Amino acid sequence: MANHKDIIYGLYNDEEDLLKAVEVARDQHLDIMDVYTPFPVHGLDPLLGLSESRLHIGAFIYGAIGTLTAFLGMTWIFTKDWPIVYGGKPYWAVPSFIPITFELTVLFASIGMVVTFYVICGLGPGVVNPTIDTRITDDKFCIAFEKGANESGAAESFLSSTGASEIHSKTI
Amino acid sequence: MTSFEFTGRHRMTLLIGVVIGVLCMAGTWFFADDAIHSRFWSNFLHNSVFFTGIAVMAGFFLCASITAWAGWYVTFKRIWESFSLFMGIGFILMLILALGTYFGWHHLYHWTDPALLDVNDELYDPIIAGKSGFLNKSWYLFGTIFSVGIWFFIMTRIRALSIKEDEGNDEDFSSHRWMRWWAAAYLPLAGFLSAAMIWQWVMSVDSHWYSTMFAWYSGASWFVSMLALTILVLMILKMKGYFASTSNEHIHDLGKLLFAFSIFWTYLWFSQYMLIWYANVGEETIYFKERIDNYPVLFYGNLLINFVLPFFVLMRNDTKRKWGSLGFIAVMVLFGHWIDYFLMIKPGVLHTAHEVAAHASGHHGDHGHGAHEAIGGFAMPGFLELGTGIGFLCLFLYFVFSSLTKAKLEPTHDPYLEESLHHHV
Repeated sequence: MANHKDIIYGLYNDEEDLLKAVEVARDQHLDIMDVYTPFPVHGLDPLLGLSESRLHIGAFIYGAIGTLTAFLGMTWIFTKDWPIVYGGKPYWAVPSFIPITFELTVLFASIGMVVTFYVICGLGPGVVNPTIDTRITDDKFCIAFEKGANESGAAESFLSSTGASEIHSKTI
Repeated sequence: MTSFEFTGRHRMTLLIGVVIGVLCMAGTWFFADDAIHSRFWSNFLHNSVFFTGIAVMAGFFLCASITAWAGWYVTFKRIWESFSLFMGIGFILMLILALGTYFGWHHLYHWTDPALLDVNDELYDPIIAGKSGFLNKSWYLFGTIFSVGIWFFIMTRIRALSIKEDEGNDEDFSSHRWMRWWAAAYLPLAGFLSAAMIWQWVMSVDSHWYSTMFAWYSGASWFVSMLALTILVLMILKMKGYFASTSNEHIHDLGKLLFAFSIFWTYLWFSQYMLIWYANVGEETIYFKERIDNYPVLFYGNLLINFVLPFFVLMRNDTKRKWGSLGFIAVMVLFGHWIDYFLMIKPGVLHTAHEVAAHASGHHGDHGHGAHEAIGGFAMPGFLELGTGIGFLCLFLYFVFSSLTKAKLEPTHDPYLEESLHHHV
């Protein structure tokens, strides 16, 4: 990895402690690098001032592309490219297009969202992501600060005063 | 505010609505009807089935939530309890229709004509005769009494247990355990019997036609209407200062359900349409041909109001939380599904009325082209239809609000109360 970061982080045992600590950090205007939790914690996003995800806007656009691809594709195939009469229906048999249009809409939206999510998060095959502590995927809640982002000693004293069970430094 | 006060002014407003409904029904009967009162009876059937169905579905969702150990709905569960208790009135309404079928007060159903079953009669109809094991007056009467009766009975049990829980001495949760038993019993009874009753009450209006999707489709229509009405009643009561602990998070979830079940309804509507369109069997296709040719505005408007509108408006996160957009969609969808039922019932009734009229004038077997009588209220809902609908809606709300006064507005000792109070989406 090119950009190594020196970080200091504290581990909390309970989500309630974490939420209170993040509130304190906000009041002290501390610059938090990130917060890691094993599961989504309700009320954390607004405390951290995170804006709403825009992934769903992408989903709508991908879905709309899927709708158009399927519907216009079938329209072109069955009216211009290779018109076939089947079941005594007209060439442009709209009701029979609807299920495939629906399916391609869902397919495009879901695959588009997955790809977008992976690209934005920097995930993918062969990518090594730094792990702060393996227990944050299990039972620990972590607040991490970048060294130098806050006044020296501020992060440490904040972590110890808000009830972090462990405080560590690490280079990732 | 722990208890709901149904003030005199609100009672008066709703009663005026009921009186408007009664006047419209009387006006239909005396001034704007044919000789066999098709318009009056079809309006009566339309609204009775619609609002009884909303009550059935409120009970169904309540019981499904109890059985699934859900907790989010608890702060406003009295609304669904009160909705479901409207089945008491629904029982009377449907009983009037069933007795009418049994004693021949109305001609809503073509299959009630005994000549159709007589092999020696020139009117003998092998299709109807083949269905007579299910489509007969005795089954209609018995099925109505049994189904609505047992649904209503179970919902009164659940209501009584729910009120008993409020006393707070339910340490071992025995009341809730019993409630769970009743809820589990209600689910299959409501599921299967409502399908059977929809076939009898609504689908058999088009006596020759049948569709295996029909019960699902009209049941979904009831369900969406129930959700829309729940949202509207909650909003009205919150504006009056009640249901303080029912937050925007609950409203948001109801909005999601309204969005999801609007799509579910569309899925069933389209599945029914596409299968019939694809197979193109004449005796099935006639149902849609009739509606597309003679009711194009309602037919396409139905899809526009009940699918396109909620789909695009409620797709966003914030439109489900803003009362303006959600309330607007709830009103539109409630009206839209009322129209949906109009479209299910009216064409078939009109057809039967024409046949009866043709009969009377001696043109046997002349399907629908005999002696026409000009009766309104069939091509489009007229003022009398809308007035009747408003009357039934006000009757429904009057009953719901008076049920709400009979218990604490928010339950105090439901085991899932805390979960509901902290509901967060």
